[in-house]
Amino acid sequence: MSHPLVRSILIVGAAALMIAVASPTQGDPTKPAAPAAGKHWAFVPPLRPQPPAVRDAAWVRSPIDRFVLAKLEADNLNPSPEADRYTLIRRLSLDLTGLPPTPAEADAFANDTAADAYEKVVDRLLASPRYGEHWARVWLDLARYADTQGYEKDNHRDMWAYRDWVIAALNADMPFDRFTLEQIAGDLLPDANDSTRLATAFHRNTMTNTEGGTDDEEYRGYAVKDRVDTTLQVWMGLTAACAKCHSHKYDPISIEEYYRFYAYFNQTGDHDGYHDDPRAQLRSPIVHANINEKEAELAALRTELGAMGERLADQRRKWEATLASAKPVWLTLIPQSATSAEGATLTPGPDGAVLASGKAVKSDTYTIVASLGRDDLKQPITAIRLEALTDPSLDKQGPGRKAADPNYVVNTFEVVAEALDAAGKPIAAAAPAPIKLANARADFSQNGWPVAGAIDDDPKTGWAISPQFSRSHVAVFDLAEPWSPPADAASVRLTVAIRQLYGDWLVIGKARLSVSTSAPASLSPVVGEDPVAIARVPEAKRTPQQWTEINDAFLAQHADTSAKRQRAATLEAEIEAATKGLPATPVMVELPPERQRKTRIHNRGNFLDPGEFVTPALPAALHPMPEGAPENRLGVARWLTARNNPLTARVAVNRIWARLFGIGIVETEEDFGTQGIAPTNQPLLDYLAVEYMDAHGWSQKKLLRAIVTSATYRQSGAMTPASAAADPFNQRLARGPRFRLSAEQVRDQALAVSGLLSAKMGGPSVMPPQPEGVWRTVYNGANWKTPDNEDRYRRGLYTYWRRTSPYPSMINFDAGSGEVCLIRRIRTNTPLQALVLMNDPVYVEAASALAARSIRDGGADARSRIAHAFRLVLIRPPTDAELLRLTALHAAALAEFRSDSEAAGELLAAGRAKPAAGVDPADLAAFSTLANVLLNLDEAVTKP
Amino acid sequence: MNDFTITPYLERARAMTRRHLLSRTGLGIGSMALASMLAGERAGAAVASAPVNPLAPRKPFYPAKAKAVIYLHMAGAPSQVELFDYKPALEKFNGQPCPKEYLEGKRFAFIRGVPNMLAAQFKFNRVGQSGQYVSSLLPHFSSMIDDVAVIRSMHTDQFNHAPGQLYVQTGNPRLGYPAMGSWVTYGLGSENADLPGFVVLLSGGKTPDGGKSLWGSGFLPTVYQGVQCRTTGDPVLYLSNPNGMDRKLRRQTLDALRDLNEMQHKAVGDPETITRIAQYELAYRMQMSVPEVMDISKEPAHVLEMYGAKPGYVSAAESAEDPRALHKGDDPTFANNCVLARRLVESGVRFVQLYDWGWDHHANAANESIDVMLPIKAAQVDRAIAGLIRDLKQRGLLESTLIVWGAEFGRTPMMQNNTENNSKLKPGFIGRDHHPHGYTMWIAGGGTRGGVAYGSTDEIGYYPAENPVEIHDLQATILHLLGLDPYKFHVAHQGLKERLIGPTDHPDIISGIVA
Repeated sequence: MSHPLVRSILIVGAAALMIAVASPTQGDPTKPAAPAAGKHWAFVPPLRPQPPAVRDAAWVRSPIDRFVLAKLEADNLNPSPEADRYTLIRRLSLDLTGLPPTPAEADAFANDTAADAYEKVVDRLLASPRYGEHWARVWLDLARYADTQGYEKDNHRDMWAYRDWVIAALNADMPFDRFTLEQIAGDLLPDANDSTRLATAFHRNTMTNTEGGTDDEEYRGYAVKDRVDTTLQVWMGLTAACAKCHSHKYDPISIEEYYRFYAYFNQTGDHDGYHDDPRAQLRSPIVHANINEKEAELAALRTELGAMGERLADQRRKWEATLASAKPVWLTLIPQSATSAEGATLTPGPDGAVLASGKAVKSDTYTIVASLGRDDLKQPITAIRLEALTDPSLDKQGPGRKAADPNYVVNTFEVVAEALDAAGKPIAAAAPAPIKLANARADFSQNGWPVAGAIDDDPKTGWAISPQFSRSHVAVFDLAEPWSPPADAASVRLTVAIRQLYGDWLVIGKARLSVSTSAPASLSPVVGEDPVAIARVPEAKRTPQQWTEINDAFLAQHADTSAKRQRAATLEAEIEAATKGLPATPVMVELPPERQRKTRIHNRGNFLDPGEFVTPALPAALHPMPEGAPENRLGVARWLTARNNPLTARVAVNRIWARLFGIGIVETEEDFGTQGIAPTNQPLLDYLAVEYMDAHGWSQKKLLRAIVTSATYRQSGAMTPASAAADPFNQRLARGPRFRLSAEQVRDQALAVSGLLSAKMGGPSVMPPQPEGVWRTVYNGANWKTPDNEDRYRRGLYTYWRRTSPYPSMINFDAGSGEVCLIRRIRTNTPLQALVLMNDPVYVEAASALAARSIRDGGADARSRIAHAFRLVLIRPPTDAELLRLTALHAAALAEFRSDSEAAGELLAAGRAKPAAGVDPADLAAFSTLANVLLNLDEAVTKP
Repeated sequence: MNDFTITPYLERARAMTRRHLLSRTGLGIGSMALASMLAGERAGAAVASAPVNPLAPRKPFYPAKAKAVIYLHMAGAPSQVELFDYKPALEKFNGQPCPKEYLEGKRFAFIRGVPNMLAAQFKFNRVGQSGQYVSSLLPHFSSMIDDVAVIRSMHTDQFNHAPGQLYVQTGNPRLGYPAMGSWVTYGLGSENADLPGFVVLLSGGKTPDGGKSLWGSGFLPTVYQGVQCRTTGDPVLYLSNPNGMDRKLRRQTLDALRDLNEMQHKAVGDPETITRIAQYELAYRMQMSVPEVMDISKEPAHVLEMYGAKPGYVSAAESAEDPRALHKGDDPTFANNCVLARRLVESGVRFVQLYDWGWDHHANAANESIDVMLPIKAAQVDRAIAGLIRDLKQRGLLESTLIVWGAEFGRTPMMQNNTENNSKLKPGFIGRDHHPHGYTMWIAGGGTRGGVAYGSTDEIGYYPAENPVEIHDLQATILHLLGLDPYKFHVAHQGLKERLIGPTDHPDIISGIVA
């Protein structure tokens, strides 16, 4: 039962909503739309406020500025002047790509007199692939992304393909509503594909506890709660966490409503299992993009070859005629009946294949009955063949029935033959004969599941085919003794039982049987129907598959197509090789209807104390499910980005704003509820939110462009003691943003300015230098191994992230552990950060590389080299005083290292630096010392 | 005077890491303020660096004796049946099947079916004025029993290591919550501006099961996270200058850095720049002070002897590929850490957390057992712990230093029975499973009563029989002893008033052990 207070909020809320809709006033834009009594501002959908009039209209570049300036003018404050161009391009580059500009880019911008010089820079940066990498990191904090499972063992988990998905989606500027849909319910979309399935890994970033003796159901429950809490936090800025134990004190979610919402997320197949199943071998849109290209080429080639088959139809028919007289090697059994022991539907097709559908079953035995005429059996049967075929109706084309893991296990394959008389009655003298099989062989058998297991006496062994999904497979069994019916038999009835007893939904989706009278030695397990048999099928009756196969066979012996066929074969092999090593990413897989869980309230949050059963429903005080949306995760995903959702757009634009300005318009990004801090400028927030949905069509790039081209953003960040004291967090926006770079930006910038940064995108996470002995965890033998190649210098977001032992230097700069959703990082300023930048080998190496680069490119004398290094790091030219101070340091260090060449050698070794020909090692060491100072500057680690 | 309950303290702490308080305290901004901050050393630093240092000492809610905590966590969970909880009845039932009522509805990590009861494998002695029973494996500790309050009625609701350790150390079995040491330094700051306020020391060759999350700061600012000090390599990560850069050159670089940062501050006026200058100076001082305090070789021989410490010992486990194989034997790392703990507390560090790995004696494998491993592990800690108590007492520091000893849970009075080997009494294979329902911890100093036997378990040591103590009770007591009101001390986070002791007011301060 919901709390009385909740019900009253609900009623008042409904009234407020009606008022809000009925009077779409654009009112006083400096004040939030007056909410109806009792309705918290954030639960009233935003209306687009009219940008207010301002006195200093000349300052305004965008409507955003009017909202900001109106408030400043009301407080008798002036905005700051526009920052200089060096500052602007550094700010823009760090904000949009996470990387600094080059001095050359900065100079080009500084000297560009075009009216749209600024906008050109913005557009260039938004189009850079670096954009997606930078903003992916922001999203990955929310997604609680990590490369391990968490808890005691904290084993490895293949999650990086999902990280690549985020990068690619952001670079493609996937609209946020679609971005939402794919991550929350990409498996349930009508147009679901591998990419949308990969997106669902978002909610598989929950932790898995594999410590000995833990209760999987307990930790599965924690994972589902994490999904509920994360969903409401990330999209709607609501903190529902407390409602899992008791009815929410402040926000309108009761414990019952919590578990009704939980019920939507309680229907996926994951179960806190050791391997994070269900997983799927899916492609990274970055590192496997070339497979996609190859597949496209292959598909084009196949179409072309198919068309040739059409064009050469006359020749094909002639060729087929030569086949028709030949004897087929395999004779397809056309089923008279096909039955499932467990009630699945088995439908025979014209090509003899039996397709399973209907009820999902854990185990099954298919019994297929077919007859052969006397004419077919002039010679004894020597072998029988089982094909497990692909079909569009199966997930990933099958050949198994199980979604995401379309494997199967044939534990026992049995054949019984009966001789029949002309009336179709069994010949009394000949009892049904179980046929003994031998010498099993298959085109492919899964490791540990050889095909021989299907005909041994052990029902636990069997034939399976993981990971070779999406293609047909074939097994051939010889008869131990060739079998002929009695001479008086008119026909033979074969009954084949395919027992599939593994018990994890691993059953064949489409099966076909055939027999042969050829010599067994000549029979190999090759996928595909015998062309001879297909040639006998009238053209009008051929299935598409038969057409493909007969065309293939025809073209194979046709000289004109051999080059194209060769190329297709090469592509196939390459695709297969590239596909072999695909990571298995945990994904969301909805349970079939008959396996769906019944959700109960966990009293006081304790799963061992189950309360009433509940059905899925949305919290009543929030907006309803969009019309026509299904009552499942897909419906929830649509609900999250519904146009009348009062929160999602506000929360999203506020997040973007906070990353750019250092603090949100709502400071508590994680809490838009009544316990959060009220917005400092609600009309601005609402304007941005409505524009995001309507004008920008949920495009993050358009939103960013609108914000960073505003005069507000372009202000100088300089402050006076008075302005700093009056507005320490710059919430009034009377100046531009100025705050410390994120952990990843600090790293990436140092590598970029020193020239070490690798541009490689995507792929498995990497292990840059980390102090010895940091990884030393119980019951997990994993080691930290730093490579000696460009993977040493990848961007921070590619660093291997172990939840119980995250990369220490980035933790010191406030990166999260990835254990739970992190809405915003609280910035700190600590001595441990100083120690990292002073001494971490990453920064010692960067300093040495920066030194070598400056000596090489910075001109002939120390002064110009110092200025060069300075500009690489800070972009702007140094002042004379700065140059003088740095020159003095260089001179002192040079003297030191000239008198102590051993120390110089040690420092260079620590920085992995080798002096180029003609470079004095002492000078390189002195420059490394200087470069270390540059990388430690407050200005260097601060976005200007 | 305290505003913990009035303003969201998190916001205040964040502000303190930034410029806010710099102006609020009236010190003004700029190099004058900086000069006075940098001039502050040791005692004086407490005042001078307060504006920029979120670890500056703060007054508790109410006056308290305990100023610092040394927490000795025996990761893996030692057997209270052998060490502290003397149960003659277990002798009688030894080898008999465990009564059904103790098994029904229970979850175990490894025990399956009906296990047999298992008597203590080692002798107990009655020791001290208080006449408590303590294992013969702990002769040195026994000599200090009258300074210690032993709680024999602990219970928890976690029976796996990682969640169990997280529950004890963060008040929540799941990841993402601040460690007790973070809470305490957040509430009280630290007395030494040149050292971290919350230090973690490891022995036994392994990080405990809960990983570094055990000393993470959760939703508190990262400045409150525990700093792991290491006995090999850099004592604090990244502390040492790179080879080839001596302290003199480092000083020169920091002088240049300060000068340039001051120019930047003059141009832009961001108070954060001043904070950063101060943090670099602190880092520079830490480069001296941390190795100094971590160097136990300067301790007199008789003090080292008291703990059984051996300066400079490098455990083979530290460099082994798989240190599990090597955590056994005569390893003084824990003793060295106890000496360090005293030195750190003496220097004003607020919370010192020791983890000693290697107490998980299931007998799943040969010799990972009570009969073989427990005497070895007990010998590794017995003299060190007694030495720590005695040393603090002799220095007059025991009154102001709270020592807590314990684990994430205890071990079953039944023997483990999950393999062929450990199902019968066979040397090297005598093990016990995890037991959350009744076990022993002890607490000493810091305003607690010595010589107290608090609480007890039933006849076979399964459940608490009197004065049960839950984890949140223990945490409430620790906070209380430090002068931090456990019921009021909270931060606002995600719509919840987060407290170390959890959301309800059920936890009790264990008044029976408070002096």
